[in-house]
Amino acid sequence: MSARAVRPKLPFLGVAGRHNRVPSPYPWLMPVILVMGLFYLYPVIDVFRYAFTDLTLLGGEGHYTLSTFANVLTRPELLQILWVTFVFTAGSVIGQQVIGLAMALVVVRSEKRHLFGTTILRTTALIAWVVPGIAGGIIWKMLFNEAPFGGLNSLLRLMGMAPVQWLSDPDVVMWSVVLSNVWRGTAFSMVVMYAALKAIDPSLYEAAEVDGASARQKLFFVTLPQLRPAILVNMILITIQTLNTFDAIISLTGGGPGRATEVLSLYTFNVVFRNYDLAAGSVLSILMLVISLTLALIYAGFLPKDDKA
Amino acid sequence: MKKSMLAALAAATALGCLPAIAEDLITSDRVGPSDAPKKMVFRMTGDGPSSTDPTWAAGYAKLYTDFINNHPGWQLELQMMTGDISQEQARMLEQAKAGHAPDCAAVDSFVLPLFKQAGVLKSLSPYFTKEEVDQLFPFVRDGVTGKDGQIYAWWWSTDLRVLYRNKEIVPDAPETWADTKAAALKSVEAGMEGILFNGSRYEGTTFDWLGNFWGQGGKLVDDAGKPVFADADNRDKFVKAVNYYRDLVESGAAPKRVATIGNYDDFNAAAAAGTTAMFVGGNWQYRQLQNSMEPEEFAKWTFSMLPGITADERSTGTGGWTVAAFSSEPEKVEMCAALAREIYMGPANALQEQLPTRADLYDKYEVFKSEANQTFAKALKVGQARPGVLIYPEISNQIQIMMGKVLTGAETTDAAVDEAFKATLDAYARL
Repeated sequence: MSARAVRPKLPFLGVAGRHNRVPSPYPWLMPVILVMGLFYLYPVIDVFRYAFTDLTLLGGEGHYTLSTFANVLTRPELLQILWVTFVFTAGSVIGQQVIGLAMALVVVRSEKRHLFGTTILRTTALIAWVVPGIAGGIIWKMLFNEAPFGGLNSLLRLMGMAPVQWLSDPDVVMWSVVLSNVWRGTAFSMVVMYAALKAIDPSLYEAAEVDGASARQKLFFVTLPQLRPAILVNMILITIQTLNTFDAIISLTGGGPGRATEVLSLYTFNVVFRNYDLAAGSVLSILMLVISLTLALIYAGFLPKDDKA
Repeated sequence: MKKSMLAALAAATALGCLPAIAEDLITSDRVGPSDAPKKMVFRMTGDGPSSTDPTWAAGYAKLYTDFINNHPGWQLELQMMTGDISQEQARMLEQAKAGHAPDCAAVDSFVLPLFKQAGVLKSLSPYFTKEEVDQLFPFVRDGVTGKDGQIYAWWWSTDLRVLYRNKEIVPDAPETWADTKAAALKSVEAGMEGILFNGSRYEGTTFDWLGNFWGQGGKLVDDAGKPVFADADNRDKFVKAVNYYRDLVESGAAPKRVATIGNYDDFNAAAAAGTTAMFVGGNWQYRQLQNSMEPEEFAKWTFSMLPGITADERSTGTGGWTVAAFSSEPEKVEMCAALAREIYMGPANALQEQLPTRADLYDKYEVFKSEANQTFAKALKVGQARPGVLIYPEISNQIQIMMGKVLTGAETTDAAVDEAFKATLDAYARL
């Protein structure tokens, strides 16, 4: 007899026979449902409602209309904003994933060998992670400062190298912003990869060693396939996180020069808080939601399915 | 043993009560006794007891203490704004529309029209005499007055932009754009960075530069509030003013990094570090330079009116801060007006050397008789405030974007100006 066959039938809303009464889960779930509904669902519903209006912060009640969608989605600057967002997100996600994995591998390997400095490396990376976005932006602004007393350029000059226009060159500034975001976000990927690496069955490596696999072969044929679910989940999380990043950019470049670093989240922020256009900001928020969900679904499609019995 | 424990407890209790007995009238978020029955929430900038300048903080602490002593039974809850003024003001407008604004707040003069339009401000007319209102500079009076003739804020300080220079390197005040470029290039030859100005995504970028456009007689909006800055009458003046900045960067008279500057503190830092000899800054920086430099270093610095395309076509942007009331309780509105009158209308101007908005106050306070402040006051005569229209924030936003493209050479001036004008007209059509 299978386990399924003996599982008692859960009564709907807790109504059950006298002898197998099972308490309803709903009273237990209600606080969570209420909190989620109040703090998550209600604002989302409000955003959808605003998107179908022409509401601004400047006065008037606003009217229901579809024109805001048409107006926002046909703005000439939107394509450039989306491209900037794509470059920023792709650069940040790839950078954080690759460096996070590399650091986790180094930490795990050095722990095995009881090397000095493992904790220092881990702690240093985590410090960057806990720094608030605005503060991180300000720190990098000081480093990238192109004045004669700017941080990184002073170092370059000491080494006899030419200074770099970190923030004023439209071709360089995006990579400066990506670098600052990778610096901040890598620790998260490192922690996820570290936990996943620790969970890999050591017997797999033992078997690989018996087969005479080199370190490179063990990485590509044991470690990476075993990490695949963790990598994909991590990529979903950091993609959504990066898409929503604007605090570090606003304090580092403000989206400039021009619109060179104005990502979708910052553009949305500017539309609401500088142009006072609530309806347009809501449409852009929905656009961000659609992009995040689409990317999450694409990643999820690559997740390994449960083995069928 | 029991006795000694009781004594220790009594001593600890007494010590614990001490702070309550000797309660400070001023804390970081409160002025007045914490048990005062009446409370007014005041959202403020750094112009208060929490000023980062110790002298000003001490001065404001005294002003606020005197104020609260004059109003027994009241306490003020102080809410500090962050440095991102545009965001702070937008949030406050949103809160005001939802009925959750503070009772009284500092409102930046350039967004005051938005608050007036939204109908969230309470009239302060009953609390100021006609004579006091008449003493306000015309652009200030127009700014605070609503369509119904009532005043909806008290504009207590104004400021303006000037050209600072190191006299050792640039002895004579540049009067024209050509003079400025020549002087900046000369400073570059002396190992300096050249002239510095705001050029990033920042309100100061627009405002500091607008004097170059206004000086030629350019207009941002027409009488109906429609953007006209790049129409047939104004485009040429606008493009010339943009090209002035572009030429400064392309010729090396200004470093390319100006496209990343969005903070007046950067100029103070560069001046203190001796890496620049000229910058476009605000009048309040004169005192900041004085406070941050050694006297012999500060003595090298002076300022002059912003240059123009010719010496006779010059202007400068004037801004400033207001105090406005949001509360629906008349008693709190009156308290807000009293705060504006007793702390900010004169005493705060004198303390921070922030230029008053009333002509008579320049004679009342000794500090405004100094040569520097007299020069600022003269420059105010050619000052222009930002137009009090709803579309101004978007005009400014588009000018900031355009300036970034132009200063980095990403686009031609004509293309960038046309894009900015079209985007502004589109936004105007949506209002």
